[in-house]
Amino acid sequence: MAGRDVVFRVKRYRPESGGKPAYQDYRIPYRDDMVVLDGLNYIKDHVDPTLTYRWSCRMGICGSCGANVNGTPRLTCGTYIRDVHKGTVTVDPLANFPILKDLVVDFDDFLTKLASVTPYIVREESGDLSKEFVQYPEEVEAYRQQSLCINCMLCYAACPVFGASPEFIGPAASALALRYIRDTRDEGADQRLARLNTKSGIWECTFVGECSVVCPKDVDPAAAIQTLKFLATMRHMRRLLMPGAPSR
Amino acid sequence: MAREYPWRRRAGWWLQNRRYLAFQLRELGGVVSAIYGLIFLNLLRTLRAGESAYTAFVDMMRTPPILYVNLVLFALLVWHAVTWFMLIGKSQPIQFTERPLPWRAVFGVNVLLWIGVSGAVVYLIFGGF
Repeated sequence: MAGRDVVFRVKRYRPESGGKPAYQDYRIPYRDDMVVLDGLNYIKDHVDPTLTYRWSCRMGICGSCGANVNGTPRLTCGTYIRDVHKGTVTVDPLANFPILKDLVVDFDDFLTKLASVTPYIVREESGDLSKEFVQYPEEVEAYRQQSLCINCMLCYAACPVFGASPEFIGPAASALALRYIRDTRDEGADQRLARLNTKSGIWECTFVGECSVVCPKDVDPAAAIQTLKFLATMRHMRRLLMPGAPSR
Repeated sequence: MAREYPWRRRAGWWLQNRRYLAFQLRELGGVVSAIYGLIFLNLLRTLRAGESAYTAFVDMMRTPPILYVNLVLFALLVWHAVTWFMLIGKSQPIQFTERPLPWRAVFGVNVLLWIGVSGAVVYLIFGGF
């Protein structure tokens, strides 16, 4: 449908100017099939080429285009303008992260945390790699939900605990740790649980649950963290009662 | 290197949506449960101190302002309990079949048990309803 306008109120930050982030309004035409990312692209292409934001796949896979839309962390490629606007669509950079420029935030801290839980299959011995490692469907099902994480960071933007304690390892890194702990091919559970079983690890989580609400892939990181608390406690008790026994 | 703008959380962040508000009230309920504990400990202390101290404390607890405060504290405590029961099925899924029990079922069973145990306690204290 032609002839309809919407106002995009976008948070701008220009590091070179030295000022504080401030909103800038753009009135643009929109159709019912346009998502928020389409609106940002329209502004970039037709109104203001200096607007800076991340995006790539436009289909909810790459996890690049996350932003706070009307105060809620969302993938802008999966959020229809018609569903969120009441005359105005407010777009802020993801909360809880330092801003680099406009809607682009600094993820370095997350990447360090992610690396700390070894988000890949760890084998204690190399073994015979020419042999196929059989995994049954129910074994795949055990970690399938967590494996859907696309590292979009919406869960970190929604987590008030991470907002208050930036040292908290956070939802996505925890969910991905569980993904590999549950993988029958993996043998790195012990080192991951050692990292997670700390004050800045899973025990910082107070189960607000907002991470699972905003997750676009239904990974349910809140439940993953509670499962990790159980696994970490069992590991601790095993080490206490049966020193020297294998931790898994 | 580009100059980053550090994140600053707004003071009223927990009013941003009703789930944050529900969480904050749940946490406040945790503080309230500690206050209740202190009240009961003080009750035991006055009981040990003698009849006059105990009566004075009970009379003070029966005054309207304290009753109103208790009403608010009780509401927060109930909210704390109910919201934790809602989380049990999510934090430790119970699995008898291929799929875990839905959290609502776990919540319902816990609430029924809670009501049952509370009823038994009331019966023991007052000797009937």
